[in-house]
Amino acid sequence: MNVLEIADLHMSFGNNKVLRGLNMEIPENSVFGFVGRNGAGKTTTMKIVLGLLKAQCGFVKVCGEEVRYGATRTNRHIGYLPDVPEFYGYMKPMEYLRLCGEITGLSSALIKDRSRELLELVGLDGVNRKISGFSRGMKQRLGIAQALLNEPRLLICDEPTSALDPIGRRQILDILSAMRGKTTVVFSTHILSDVESICDRIAVLEQGELVLSGTLAEIQKQHRRNSYHIRFASDGEAEEFSQTEELKREGVELEREGCSLTISVSDVSVGAQELIDLLSRKSMAPERFEVLEPTLESLFTEVVQ
Amino acid sequence: MEIMKEYWPFLVPLILAEFVLMVTALVHVLRHPNYKFGSRALWIPVVLFVQILGPIVYFVFGRGDDA
Amino acid sequence: MSHFLVFVKKELVEYARTYKLLILLVVFIIFGIMNPLVAKLTPELLTSFMPEGMFVTIPEPTALDSWAQFFKNTQQMGLIVLLLVFSGVLGTELTKGTLINLLTKGLSRQAVVLAKYTAMVLVWTLSVVVSAMLTWIYTVYLFPDGPMGYLFVAIFCMWLFGVFLLALLLASATMVRGNYGGLLLTGLALVILMVVNIFPEAHTYNPLSLGAKNMSLVSGTVDPSSLYAAMVVSTLAICGLLFLSVLVFQKKEL
Repeated sequence: MNVLEIADLHMSFGNNKVLRGLNMEIPENSVFGFVGRNGAGKTTTMKIVLGLLKAQCGFVKVCGEEVRYGATRTNRHIGYLPDVPEFYGYMKPMEYLRLCGEITGLSSALIKDRSRELLELVGLDGVNRKISGFSRGMKQRLGIAQALLNEPRLLICDEPTSALDPIGRRQILDILSAMRGKTTVVFSTHILSDVESICDRIAVLEQGELVLSGTLAEIQKQHRRNSYHIRFASDGEAEEFSQTEELKREGVELEREGCSLTISVSDVSVGAQELIDLLSRKSMAPERFEVLEPTLESLFTEVVQ
Repeated sequence: MEIMKEYWPFLVPLILAEFVLMVTALVHVLRHPNYKFGSRALWIPVVLFVQILGPIVYFVFGRGDDA
Repeated sequence: MSHFLVFVKKELVEYARTYKLLILLVVFIIFGIMNPLVAKLTPELLTSFMPEGMFVTIPEPTALDSWAQFFKNTQQMGLIVLLLVFSGVLGTELTKGTLINLLTKGLSRQAVVLAKYTAMVLVWTLSVVVSAMLTWIYTVYLFPDGPMGYLFVAIFCMWLFGVFLLALLLASATMVRGNYGGLLLTGLALVILMVVNIFPEAHTYNPLSLGAKNMSLVSGTVDPSSLYAAMVVSTLAICGLLFLSVLVFQKKEL
């Protein structure tokens, strides 16, 4: 079942079209990476899902219920972590969680238990001082705790790691990764390594449209472009090899830089074996022969171009 | 001193109230390095020497964010 | 607990911890004590500043002078401090974004507006009560005068005027962004009321009248019934302003 369904979502601010027919489905219990450049429409999408912004057309369903602007009924399924969560600085973490719990309508005893549990989960147990003295990372972790308070089926995090130092980032990623199987996590980011390390599904948003989506493995398979990097002893050898008749066909791209040659092949029939055969036929011994794995980064730059 | 003798039931609580305000403000200035504007060197004398108004102005306009 | 009560509690805690409560209480305590004292000492001070050889008969101060001080101070400095302290009541939360998180948790916007208003009115009420009590105690101590005419009605009118101002401040804050924009709009509204007051016919209904006739009430020269219209108009205005605040705030994109 899909926890979140977005269909044909359009949104513009003035003349600036932020979303142009966004379609997306997020199945339950996945860790979903929502990738896009700054300004691609990630935050806008999230705000529409939360009922904080009104879309011009299209619909959003959370756990099968349609989201309506201004109404917050569907938000009971959602835990939300804003990109820079703001709290009341004069409160202590426990007090803030109590306030949130009371608003959600949890019982006093339950709030107490859940707060303890969650503060422990995010590593803020025993921190009994005012939030005004918290670092960004601590605020972000408290933000996760408050988002999880009502045991949401969908946890939405807006750029949870982008404002943090490497240690803070790792902590957040670990916490999110630990949620796998317990709840569905959607997080937006422009940091691809974050996605690669914890997500099992991704969607890439570019200029208000999805340009790529699926599980990480699927995407890598689909967009398989074998690339090889060969370094020769001299420029001449590299040039000579790049003129090989067998390589002059559809789907093969050659790029020579000095004595290095990069060969990108979209046609899977050209394998490493064939290249090695070609090399030995020309009795050339390269200094280096490397098979380049497609990274998310290269994929990303490829699809957003 | 004549006034003090006659009106101590007024002056004692007045001075006490002013003192409480001043001390609270002073402690706050000393414990928080960030202000909406001004600096510690500005706020300490304001709080100490401008009676009543000094601490109020500090809390309303000068106090940095949060508690 | 309803959202409204939860948020009233949160607001009161906030006022206590961000020194708003402290400032208002200390200011009103100081006024409460000062009012009778200033009334008592003014003639003495005046005579001591008079050039030698000049004689002016200054009437012996009475309890009336003490209450005159009370109304003057509370309505001028008191209300100014009140408005200043609460000037950022909504703006601060909107600019910082502290509300967004709670609103996504289902906190109703109506509850936010009404709770903020209620908490402010509570603090204002407490301030007036404390100040009036102190003034009363010290007035009795200094001036063994007889009973006061319509003192309670006069205090009530002043209180109601403060409640009206707070509604004006809140409504302004929902319409203008930033911390001091609301204050400016409130000032503007007050100026408009003053301009309206140029016409004597308007006096009967103008909320400003609530603060203009307290001493006549206390001395008994004015009957409370002459203020009923202004009270009703003010109450209606308060309800209207609150309704408007909720409406505007509900439509606001955060």
